[in-house]
Amino acid sequence: MTAAADCALDMRGISKTFPGVKALSDVNFAVRFGTVHAVVGENGAGKSTLMKVLNGSYAPTSGTIKVGGAEVRMRRPADAQALGIRMVHQEINLVPDLTVAENVYLGRMPGRWSFLRKGEMVRKAAAVLDELGAAINPRERLGNLSISQQQLVEIAKAYAAQPRIIVLDEPTSSLSEHETAALFRILRKMRDDGIAIIYISHRLKEVLEIADEVTVLRDGSMIETRPTEGITAAQMIRLMVGREVSNVFPKSPAEIGESVLRVERIGDGTRFRDVSFDVRAGEILGLTGLVGAGRTEVARAIFGLSRLVEGTVSVNGRKVSINSPSQAVKAGIAYVPEDRKGDGIVPGMSIRENISLPILRRLSRFGRIKRGADRALAADYVKQFSISPPDGERRINLLSGGNQQKAVIAKWLAAKPSALILDEPTRGVDVGAKAEIHNIIGQLVAGGMAVVMISSELPEILGVCDRVVVMRDGHACEPLEPAELSEERIMALATGEEMA
Amino acid sequence: MTDAAMEISGVTPDRFTRGSRLVDALSKAGLAFAILAVMLYGSFVSPAFFTSGNLLNVLTSMSIVGIVVVGMTFVLVVGGLADLSVPATIACGAILSLGLQPMIGPLPAFVLAVGLAGLIGLLNGVLVGYVGINPIIATLGIGTIGLGIVQAAVGGVIVYGSNPASAEFAKGRLFGIPVVVLIFLLIALIGHFVLSRSFWGRWTLATGGNYSAAEASAVPVQAVKAGAFVITALASGISGGLLGLTLQSARPLIGAGYEFSAITAVVVGGVSIIGGFGSVPRAIAGLIFVQLLTNVMVLGGVRTPIQGFVLGILIVGAVGMDAALRKRGVA
Repeated sequence: MTAAADCALDMRGISKTFPGVKALSDVNFAVRFGTVHAVVGENGAGKSTLMKVLNGSYAPTSGTIKVGGAEVRMRRPADAQALGIRMVHQEINLVPDLTVAENVYLGRMPGRWSFLRKGEMVRKAAAVLDELGAAINPRERLGNLSISQQQLVEIAKAYAAQPRIIVLDEPTSSLSEHETAALFRILRKMRDDGIAIIYISHRLKEVLEIADEVTVLRDGSMIETRPTEGITAAQMIRLMVGREVSNVFPKSPAEIGESVLRVERIGDGTRFRDVSFDVRAGEILGLTGLVGAGRTEVARAIFGLSRLVEGTVSVNGRKVSINSPSQAVKAGIAYVPEDRKGDGIVPGMSIRENISLPILRRLSRFGRIKRGADRALAADYVKQFSISPPDGERRINLLSGGNQQKAVIAKWLAAKPSALILDEPTRGVDVGAKAEIHNIIGQLVAGGMAVVMISSELPEILGVCDRVVVMRDGHACEPLEPAELSEERIMALATGEEMA
Repeated sequence: MTDAAMEISGVTPDRFTRGSRLVDALSKAGLAFAILAVMLYGSFVSPAFFTSGNLLNVLTSMSIVGIVVVGMTFVLVVGGLADLSVPATIACGAILSLGLQPMIGPLPAFVLAVGLAGLIGLLNGVLVGYVGINPIIATLGIGTIGLGIVQAAVGGVIVYGSNPASAEFAKGRLFGIPVVVLIFLLIALIGHFVLSRSFWGRWTLATGGNYSAAEASAVPVQAVKAGAFVITALASGISGGLLGLTLQSARPLIGAGYEFSAITAVVVGGVSIIGGFGSVPRAIAGLIFVQLLTNVMVLGGVRTPIQGFVLGILIVGAVGMDAALRKRGVA
């Protein structure tokens, strides 16, 4: 095989300029068939822009693209698809009201004379899902699946198109460790089939595990491409941020006080039951488990976004009955949701308007919002959390993911809760912002707040949390004390190898 | 993956994402220019246009629709699409405020009429906000029922006013300005204040902008959504009451067509049809433009079918612009 044929993708001198911003400057990026090539970099480093150039969403300002050795010019995503380039986005891009099989074959449904062959489609989708090791019924309505299952459907959809180049953007951000391992098995199989896989992730451990080569981007420039063999996560971080990040999980010791939030034998009748735990002032309680184990459902029910049918919730020793988020806020509970774009931000509003949303009434007199108080509140948090750009009037959807997340956390701190539930607070944010968010959480518990943190990322759970509750199939184990904490123990409980 | 899905992937559709201030300013200035242009054109077409009699007429008829427009703005901003029960609430306001005069006197009749209109709005609000029925269907259904009840109550005939003093008041002037216009201005001011300065208004914008995020931010989204329909019904009730008092007669179909006039004005004013964006002044600017244009067409002898044609193009154009702005925000 010649070198040219070996080369799945060769992007040379790619620049992309938006009015006033140079998003990519002179980037060279080459991927060989039959390899997994990771792209890493902080948010805003240019990964997404580069991938949008690759899939035809953006036309590069300058530079050439060769696919399989031939120079190509792509003007729309359909052009890229015709060349065998498929993209799996971090955000789900599927139709909730169609079945899994229909989504997998959306736009390419098998049929003859415009009659759909439904049976064939379901069979083929089942085969693909089976190959992916995903236990998902192809006839199920997509909207009924959990986010992680939908993510697997998204991957199955790209895989079913038999691509030459497949781009995965943060594919594991909503997957548990177990599901990630399954995904890696399939990625290796795809690689061995000769597909070129471009793998974008913030999770460096995974990059080291799965990728053959890694390209580091920083500030729109290509910093380095090298084999992953012999490189460490610390070295990659240094290349990404241009500085040494000593401790990925800084932990400030906090004094642990009285129990603040206690739930006893709660259940919602379907997705979880008999869940009990308590979290004390100054403590971070981790809530982990495979995705779909019921962690988010527990959090949403405690916060009044769905109903509890059994069990009790008490705050500071007082039993509370919560049927709506505003009752939860009154009781002193706040919740930072998992789906930032869907449940976290109101995109058309400014940072200020988003931050003051839960406590508007407190900021109002005779119904009128006190402008000064509104502004001061936002300015405080923008400064305290170093939200960038430091302009409270900026529309929140123009910020990076990490900054949006800081604003969402700020929104809840403004309500002065005594217990804060964070659902995957660092999902999809870059290394720097992640450390900042951990810092913020550290400050909160130092100030006596009780924090429940839901995360699928075991290193994060182990690095940040004081005690950990593992959930499996809607049941929770007894909290693990610091001495009992290890990745192996948590995985054993999460997968059911060890019964709680 | 479909093209459309690719196209919008990863970016929040947003009205003024890029060059936001410029586009925002242009869309505001555009309407101001359009209003000026219509006035200029009107002065050429007909010498009658710039007479105080004509302008006062336009202002008065505009005020009746305008009160409804203030309410309808809340419905669109909260993401409630449109309230099609306006003809029923206007009829309720007009018929009851005249019909109840002999029994309880003009002012209580008016208040009761508006209150009952508000009740129709409450029904709409409960169905849309709490039960989750599509607003078009819910308001159409409730509106039809409401109108039926009103018709049955008066036996399908015309109701006449019996209190000359109240008619005098409604048709009268204060400092040379028609009372109806003053009431409209007052309501517009209150509506603007509530939408732009009060927590309820901020809640309305948040609910329309992202329902789940607003819900997760402890905004009582169901009540806020329902509230928009109550506000519209109260406004329509007042509008209907004033209409009845001015005309001194009310038939059950008195409010027919007002829902479309109001929706047209709000949409032409640039309030987003899918919610989360808009203001009362914008909607009123749209109203002024549409009303002046209609007036100029009437004065210029433009035939009715052509008038409808022009208004239709305006609506499609405004909604198309809304969609285009969203798309541009994506690119």
